Amino acid sequence: MKKRLVSAFLCTVLISAMAAGCGNKNTSEQASNNGEENSGGEVTISYACWDSNQAKLLETVADEFEKENPNIKIDIQVNGWDDYWTGLEAAATGGSLPDTFWMHSNNIYYYGSNDQLLDLTDYIEKSDSVDLADYPEGLGQIYNIDGKQYAVPKDYDTIALWYNKTLFDEAKLSYPDETWTWDTLKDAAKKLTKDDGSQYGFCAGLHNQEGYYNFVYQNGGKIITDDKKSGYDDEKTVQGIEEYFSFVKDGLSPEIYDDQARAEAMQNGLCAMGLFGSWNLSGFAETEFMTKNFDCAVLPSANDGTRSTIFNGLGNAISATTEHPDEAWKWVEYLSSKEGQERQAELGTAISAYNGTADKFAEAYPMFNTKCYIDMVDYAQIRPYSNQTSVWEDKAYEILKGAYAGKEDTKAACEKTAKMMNEALGAE
Amino acid sequence: MRRDYRRIFGKEWNTVKKVSKKTRNEWYWGWFMVAPTILGLIVLNIIPIFQTLYLSFFKSGAFGKGNIFVGLDNYKRMLSDGQVWHAVKNTIEYTCMVVPVTIVIALLMAVALNGKLKGKGIYRTIYFVPMVAAPAAVTMVWKWLYNSQYGLINHVLNKLGMDSVNWIDDPRVALISISIIGIWSTIGYSMVLLLAGLQEIPRDYYEASDIDGASKVKQFFSITVPLVSPTLFFVLVTSIITAMQVFDVIYMMIDVTSPSYDSTVSLVYLFYNNSFKYSDKGYGSAIVMLLLMIIMVITVIQTKLQKKWVNYM
Amino acid sequence: MERKRKIITFILHIVLIIGAFVMVLPFLWMVLTALKTVSESTSMNPFVFFPKTMQWENFKIVIEQNDFIQLYFNTFAMMALRVFCAVLFSAMAAYAFARLEFPGKNFLFGLVLFQMMVPAQIFVVPQYLMVDKMGFRNTVFALVFPGLVSAFGTFLMRQFFMGLPKELEESARLDGCNIWQTFWKVMLPLTRSGLVALGIFTALFSFKDLMWPLIVNSNSDAATLSSALAKISSAYSVNYPQLMAAAVLAVWPMMLIYMVFQKQFIEGIATSGGKL
Repeated sequence: MKKRLVSAFLCTVLISAMAAGCGNKNTSEQASNNGEENSGGEVTISYACWDSNQAKLLETVADEFEKENPNIKIDIQVNGWDDYWTGLEAAATGGSLPDTFWMHSNNIYYYGSNDQLLDLTDYIEKSDSVDLADYPEGLGQIYNIDGKQYAVPKDYDTIALWYNKTLFDEAKLSYPDETWTWDTLKDAAKKLTKDDGSQYGFCAGLHNQEGYYNFVYQNGGKIITDDKKSGYDDEKTVQGIEEYFSFVKDGLSPEIYDDQARAEAMQNGLCAMGLFGSWNLSGFAETEFMTKNFDCAVLPSANDGTRSTIFNGLGNAISATTEHPDEAWKWVEYLSSKEGQERQAELGTAISAYNGTADKFAEAYPMFNTKCYIDMVDYAQIRPYSNQTSVWEDKAYEILKGAYAGKEDTKAACEKTAKMMNEALGAE
Repeated sequence: MRRDYRRIFGKEWNTVKKVSKKTRNEWYWGWFMVAPTILGLIVLNIIPIFQTLYLSFFKSGAFGKGNIFVGLDNYKRMLSDGQVWHAVKNTIEYTCMVVPVTIVIALLMAVALNGKLKGKGIYRTIYFVPMVAAPAAVTMVWKWLYNSQYGLINHVLNKLGMDSVNWIDDPRVALISISIIGIWSTIGYSMVLLLAGLQEIPRDYYEASDIDGASKVKQFFSITVPLVSPTLFFVLVTSIITAMQVFDVIYMMIDVTSPSYDSTVSLVYLFYNNSFKYSDKGYGSAIVMLLLMIIMVITVIQTKLQKKWVNYM
Repeated sequence: MERKRKIITFILHIVLIIGAFVMVLPFLWMVLTALKTVSESTSMNPFVFFPKTMQWENFKIVIEQNDFIQLYFNTFAMMALRVFCAVLFSAMAAYAFARLEFPGKNFLFGLVLFQMMVPAQIFVVPQYLMVDKMGFRNTVFALVFPGLVSAFGTFLMRQFFMGLPKELEESARLDGCNIWQTFWKVMLPLTRSGLVALGIFTALFSFKDLMWPLIVNSNSDAATLSSALAKISSAYSVNYPQLMAAAVLAVWPMMLIYMVFQKQFIEGIATSGGKL
């Protein structure tokens, strides 16, 4: 009987050894992840991002970088948007952020002001290939906190109008172009809407960046003012939102609340037009139905001719706790250099931020009028942000959705939103 | 007086002085056998729980640094936060819809499949199938079945001449839609446990009552239910706890933009949003503490009531 | 009598078949979708039930783009270790809680119940910090870590032990078995159905665990099937057929395991239990 007991213990020991064994095998990997040099003098730099479509293309860029820098290995890690931020927060709390990673305007202040990011100001100054003047104005500014630069712009995105050519042909309408205004859009939407609910002219989903923000700025309104107050109580903001919501009220658009549902509504021919950001391009290009039937155009202007689109971008940041800041910077420097930016544009990862490289991106998706995204940069407005953007953005959705569904007065809802937002901004 | 003392410290302490070697031996074995589990639980779970409790009295700083003590402020804020009360209501409603339906169906199913039915192996497999699906896949496929424009369910309803239902975005329906997924995916769990419990009932009990001429229905209530009650109790307690912690499906199905957000948001979802999305860990912790208190009350009531109906050998 | 019985059986079958249909429907839909083209999958006019031609290509693309062999390995290594630890430790603790008397028993069992009441989401960050400090991120051990012990398993097995007749144990003790021997040789085999059930549930719960593997193992070659599936779902957001193909690939091994084991634990006890 004692034997049994002993064997049970042995099993336990064995198992823990096994577990440790698995661990040990990977510990060396882990150590190199953290950037420790092993015998070959090789350093591994981890690079975290949230878009697996782009990650596939970035692997190619990383391979090319590794060829030029044989002592550096790039390890790309992908997670979906929500989990990316949860994971990044856990990693930051434990002091083990990836060496390099994507940064977004919603979160830059939280990470930057809490000493999680490496100050890149000096690196950029000393660099031959990176100069913030080569990037669209405002993009670099997003990642600047009190004069310290915490990330270098990687790409930017704008919003365009997508339309179903087949449905336009059926209705004998001419395709959208730069002459379109709010009125043209509405007329076309009316003609493309069928009474039996099987087809809608426009897809006005409840969304800020790919939705009503664009209308607000086209109307000369603001979501957030320069002195960090809410713009929702501005008359012009309210008008912009009312215009956008009117598509649903007039029955020209279905009520759509879900992100994926918006893309689906286009794909199955339910809606003839919709607003989509440039990050959708690689996905759309893979879908035969989209390439066959769809194209994109610049956003219509307001009736007085004012143009606008929402403009946002990502930056590459480096962890403040990385053990190999120089190697990490080399990678970020490469990604930010003219050469690296051109390469990313050619592959079609995203619209490269470096001035003049964006045209290459348009060539990567010849089946669409991709260039319209780039044409809009001249009058694009940076996506409104503050120190804790997601707090008031989410609450704004909660307050506005009643008005969106036509159950509440839009103006009253906007005033409520402004009040909530000013409180949130005050607490930041 | 003496009685109260016994009740608090357990009868063991009372007899501490005159423990025999045999009793002491039993103690050592007891401690030894629970040691791995208890140590593991303390390190993995109990310490984090107390950290959470501690955090609920703070306005949390970024990345675990710079917490400011605020006393009961988070709890006060919670009491006046309408959304928290929505979440309490939704969580309890969800539990009340899912648990009874699941357990009744699962018990009937288990009894039916415990007999000599032809093809019971196939049925057992099929009813368990939803359990093996990864949550991402489950939500995806249901979201699609529910899709108001081209989902399969509405398509069939239309064919039958009924109106489409807005399964996800209609605030009156959304919680029911989510409960259906909950029932669908947990029937297998309860059924398997109850089947395992039914296996332990000696066959001669039924044979004896067959001879007595008892009907099947009577056998069910006089033999099956009492004898399977320890398992039933377990299923009930764990199902309620799991249902109260509902998160995955709502999180993946209902976005904050959805009109049914207020009528479906659960306490864990609120905790998640506050802790991870809005970086307000203190407030998130307070919400979790509220949930914990509710679950504790319910579980304590159940353990007190078990003496009334659970039949241990 | 015989006739009445036949009718009842017939009705029972009808009910069970309808129920079974509801249970499988989402899976059928999953498989059918995986074999459609993108336009077929979202088309509503006409509504497409069956694909015109089977698009096996969807599976091919998904397999090419993801290292499923590695994912299966990670997932099964995690499940095997978690099942072993949970079953062994839970059975030991459960027996002690069910049948032994020792100081602190009620309090310690209270801890077990207490753990179950707390939503798992609150453990993610503290446990992450522990794994990170030990330097085990992106390893199989990291995946196993939160499942080393199981409160659920302890509670479950305690119920099973408490359901066993006391006489068995007393006679074993009279035969000269010590406490461990009674547990290991007499009582444990009797709860075989419970052990298998616990094993299956532990395997399933770890298979379905989503947030933990996503966060602790951020390297894609250290992911599990379900965390990889969540990542894939963000990549193919508009390509349902490929997404469903990935889901099918992730789910089938679990179904197979269950089919193999269900007979084991449901029919196993009937032969071993009655004799003692």
